[in-house]
Amino acid sequence: MSVIGSSSIRTDSNARIRGEECYAIDYCEPGMLHGAILRSPVAAGSITRLDVAAARRMPGVRAVATASDAPEVLAGWVLLDTPLFARGQVRYAGEPVAAVAADTIEQARAALDAIVLEIAVTPAVVDLRTARSSGSPLVHPDWRTYLSPAGLDFQRDGNIASQLLSVQGDVDGAFAGASLVVADEFESGRQYQGYLEPKSAVGIWRDGRYQVHTGHQYPFNVRDRIAQFLQVSPSSVRVICHAAGGGFGGRLDYGLEPYAVLLSRLAQGRPVKIVNSRTEDIETSGSRDNSLITIRSALDAAGNIVARELLVDLDNGAYTGEMALMPSVSLLIAAGAYRVGAARVTCRLLYTNTPPTGAFRGVSGVAMYTAVERHMDHIASELGEDRRGFRLRHLFRSGDALLNGQVLDDADILRAGFEAMEKTAPWAAVSGRTKPYRGIGIAAAVWITNATPASVTIKLNEDGTVGVLTGASDIGTGAFTMGVTQIVAEVLGIRPEDVRLSQPDTDVASYDIGSQGSRTTRMVGGAAQNAALEVRSRILHTAGQLLQAQPEELELVGGRVRKAGDTGPGIALSDVALANTWGDGPIIGTGRYADKPVAYNPECAKGLVFSTFPTPTYHVHLAEVEVDPVTGNVRVVRYVVVQEVGRMINPAGVVGQIQGGVSQGIGFTLYESLRLEQGQVVEKTLEAYRLPLALDLPDVEIVIMEHPSADGPHGAKGVAEPPIVLVPAVIGNAIADAIGKAINKTPITPEDVLAALREAQA
Amino acid sequence: MEFLSARSVEEALQLLRAHGEAASILAGGSDLMIQLARGEVHPALLVHIEGIAELSGIAQHGNLTIGALTTHRQLATSARLACGYLALQESAASVGSRQTQEVGTLAGNICNASPAADTLAPLLVHAATVTLVSDARGERTLPLQDFLRGRRTTARQGDELLTRIELERVPARTADAYCKVGRRSAMEVAIAGLAARLTLSDDGQYIAEARIATCAVGPVPCRATSTEEFLKGRRPDERTLREAGALLAAGIAPIDDTRATARYRRSVMEGLLGRALRICTARVSITT
Amino acid sequence: MIELKLTVNGREERVSIEPAETLLDVLRNRLHLTGTKDGCREGECGACTVLLDGKPIDACIYAAQAANGRRIETIEGLSGEQLGSVQRRIVEASGVQCGYCTPGIVMTLTALLREHPRPDRQLVRAALSGNLCRCTGYTQIVDAALAAAGDEARVES
Repeated sequence: MSVIGSSSIRTDSNARIRGEECYAIDYCEPGMLHGAILRSPVAAGSITRLDVAAARRMPGVRAVATASDAPEVLAGWVLLDTPLFARGQVRYAGEPVAAVAADTIEQARAALDAIVLEIAVTPAVVDLRTARSSGSPLVHPDWRTYLSPAGLDFQRDGNIASQLLSVQGDVDGAFAGASLVVADEFESGRQYQGYLEPKSAVGIWRDGRYQVHTGHQYPFNVRDRIAQFLQVSPSSVRVICHAAGGGFGGRLDYGLEPYAVLLSRLAQGRPVKIVNSRTEDIETSGSRDNSLITIRSALDAAGNIVARELLVDLDNGAYTGEMALMPSVSLLIAAGAYRVGAARVTCRLLYTNTPPTGAFRGVSGVAMYTAVERHMDHIASELGEDRRGFRLRHLFRSGDALLNGQVLDDADILRAGFEAMEKTAPWAAVSGRTKPYRGIGIAAAVWITNATPASVTIKLNEDGTVGVLTGASDIGTGAFTMGVTQIVAEVLGIRPEDVRLSQPDTDVASYDIGSQGSRTTRMVGGAAQNAALEVRSRILHTAGQLLQAQPEELELVGGRVRKAGDTGPGIALSDVALANTWGDGPIIGTGRYADKPVAYNPECAKGLVFSTFPTPTYHVHLAEVEVDPVTGNVRVVRYVVVQEVGRMINPAGVVGQIQGGVSQGIGFTLYESLRLEQGQVVEKTLEAYRLPLALDLPDVEIVIMEHPSADGPHGAKGVAEPPIVLVPAVIGNAIADAIGKAINKTPITPEDVLAALREAQA
Repeated sequence: MEFLSARSVEEALQLLRAHGEAASILAGGSDLMIQLARGEVHPALLVHIEGIAELSGIAQHGNLTIGALTTHRQLATSARLACGYLALQESAASVGSRQTQEVGTLAGNICNASPAADTLAPLLVHAATVTLVSDARGERTLPLQDFLRGRRTTARQGDELLTRIELERVPARTADAYCKVGRRSAMEVAIAGLAARLTLSDDGQYIAEARIATCAVGPVPCRATSTEEFLKGRRPDERTLREAGALLAAGIAPIDDTRATARYRRSVMEGLLGRALRICTARVSITT
Repeated sequence: MIELKLTVNGREERVSIEPAETLLDVLRNRLHLTGTKDGCREGECGACTVLLDGKPIDACIYAAQAANGRRIETIEGLSGEQLGSVQRRIVEASGVQCGYCTPGIVMTLTALLREHPRPDRQLVRAALSGNLCRCTGYTQIVDAALAAAGDEARVES
């Protein structure tokens, strides 16, 4: 019986439900010291005095580190612009200036208090509007000297850390001849990933190498960052992962790991553990970037969009992380899921003196779809046309291309999505309700399955179970403990619980780009399937000898090998494993998986470094909201997701990803403000930074469409990111419908709603 | 920091007499423990009173008497409050989470004297008094409004223990309500809060007495006396409620803080009064 | 150092602690019961929920000394040979993702079902308002709680 498509239970759930799971924060080493980090209190300035002499003499203190204890280098994921500790200049409030390791955490904190830090404050580039103004100070006066470690060609200029420029067709002509031009401006705030386990790390200097224990989405990135910062070869660093209490993009780049290993070296190899306070975590997680987006469309006399222009400014914060890739994403989404004719897209990533931003589920796509889909509603209302009908009229068809030239062979799935939505929530019925302060919104999206290749090793244990070894990790999604596990179990005819997964260890597993971009089930699953097929082939070879049969006559069922169609017991996998173990050697298989490159037009833009949407998936969302006219509070009373997933490996897992993704989207739209004032984070605690509660969220109605891809394991495509990308768009559309006035910002607070209501009533 | 658990009121009073201003009283700790962790307070001694059973419970002999250590959870679930004191019940049920309601106490909420303390507005509309005891000077009782001196300051002397809270008996044709404004459905420090107690005339047509109290729109939760006077003798119709709302909004002095602007608070208050009074009117008609 | 006596999961424990320690510190660092999670240390996330004399509290903002002589139940105490109904149902409903909030949620739901054996959906959601879950959106956890309530009802009848 196939385990593909069954809601098998994630293999780590027993440990987790019992409280036995060892998360990174639970991990300890003998003789472990406790570390703490001194951070800049100001957004910009020159360090005029940094004196750690008194701190070194404090009781229990074993090591104090500052910039002078580390190589004088800059590091970074895609751009080398980041120092380990501020050196001379501080560029954001929260930037590490020094670190201490002591016998107890109280002693470490006391020593931080004893460090003398004086900073001459300089004018800070506190927001995007300042950063892009002509007279703005430069966050990095030396920007010209910075290099990209991967040799990526993105365009930079002063406070612009990366930009994309694309002009396709006669945009100016189309606007000049338009019957109607509709323009909008959108402002989108930051969002904290809000994983429940704060970041931590245990660093150890041992045998001339740096070793670090952490919970992470992308351990090889940590390895490479430590190697850059401390100027050693990547193989001189070992990153060992433990369970991570959520990630959502917040654990893709380095966190505390480089500080923990450096302190350990300075403390003669004593292990050093650093744990973020929740406030430090909120201030430095690398939140979703805030943005300013200007969008306009030209329409012909028949009400067709004939040209689109977009200016997108994204906030990089003080250092770049992976953000330099993001301007490319704006081109891929500029049209949304619709035909828009000629297009001009400019997207800039701007440095500011604020905490660096980073990845969060759906990355820039969330703000981009908000702008595009809110704009679609605006155009429809200007035309006096039904919003759904207007969308259907412009909806992509199979064979249409994204603005990068990538042809979408299967875009008709979008139309099927609208039809599926119509069955669940008939538009005429839901939009025909006349209740005051109720509104609905609808939107559609195309999204990516990150196609970075993967490799997996599988070993057959002597008891007939298998061990799976990869550099990929499961930060909670179940992509590994459900999806990959089931794919392996399916090939080998064993139970999912007989597939033993290892936590990633960069010394042991081969390189993997980690849990991101909705890629794990497809890419790591594909590699695991290939590895399992190799194991299977070895098993059949040996079993054939033992059963005196040809391998192709055999099948693997219930942990045994037997002749196909035979009802006898056959032979147990454990016997096959033992025969090999003492015969020609234990059975292992290795597999790799890569998707075929996606064709696109490299001439479509300057600065395109993230060029395609591999294995695209298609999505339609609908929301119904109710607005409280007294307080401005918004309740999402109904939320419907129609999602195309390729093939569902684990239905309960897919549902969990959709429900969770929508919830984070509702949080971002209505509850989670992460504001900055003069470069300082305003919401510093989980009291002020409001993650949505059980009472705030609806039970999402979910309709799954399966259109298996021709390749990949069982035709699986990415699942986890798409559920979030449309949420602010549909809720924003629904609120505008409810109150008769558009609010073009995210989050939409009760205060915004009440002010808009008063304006609409006036 | 020293920690001493008192098993009786006498024991607590002796400790407070001996250590006075250097001590902090610890009941459930849902506020104090956070202040300690953040380094906002530095008491030399914690006098732990949570285990003093005699300070817990709700009784009615004419007035309603609530023991100082009665928890938010007890208030939220007590059948005694269902008759006439729903505003207090609703406010207690809105404090933090189930977990903090289990440990947080009414006296703790009062003595913490946060401008946004949920239970204070309902207590004020029931003309609550608080009783304090000291080893040296014995017992004194004063109106809650007088006890609240300012933002996070009260009239409690260092050697005094708040032992009980008394609420007036509720007259006939009277009902109350608490309306709270927050972004989430729970776990919110009030952005604005309003308690109302409404008594209708014998024929049910007019407002015989209205009591209104607000929180989080000024340094101290307080009664809105001019709005109360405006409402007295009028019919609780839409126009009256609207005018009363405007009057209330004009009379408060909210501030801008990270949770909301003064403008929003004023704007919300205007509509919140009508909402609370409509709930009260509906409740009167159900109970009579 | 101060001597404390606690009954933890039915077992009497004597521990020496520093005065400022919270109940969470004692459970995790002194008694090595790391199933109780450290999420915010300000009573906002509920990952540290334990039962104190049967009632759910945030261990991170509860003074360890205030628990002296009292009865504490943690996730480890519910995890015998057989899983409890709440735990089993959460696993079956895929209510575990990253799992970091899970022990706290199990404790809260255990207390809820002891008090309200047949809660409705809204009551379960209200009971969970002090337990943040960032992964699941709560739906599968609420489903699990209602299923567990059904189990208990069947056992009783």
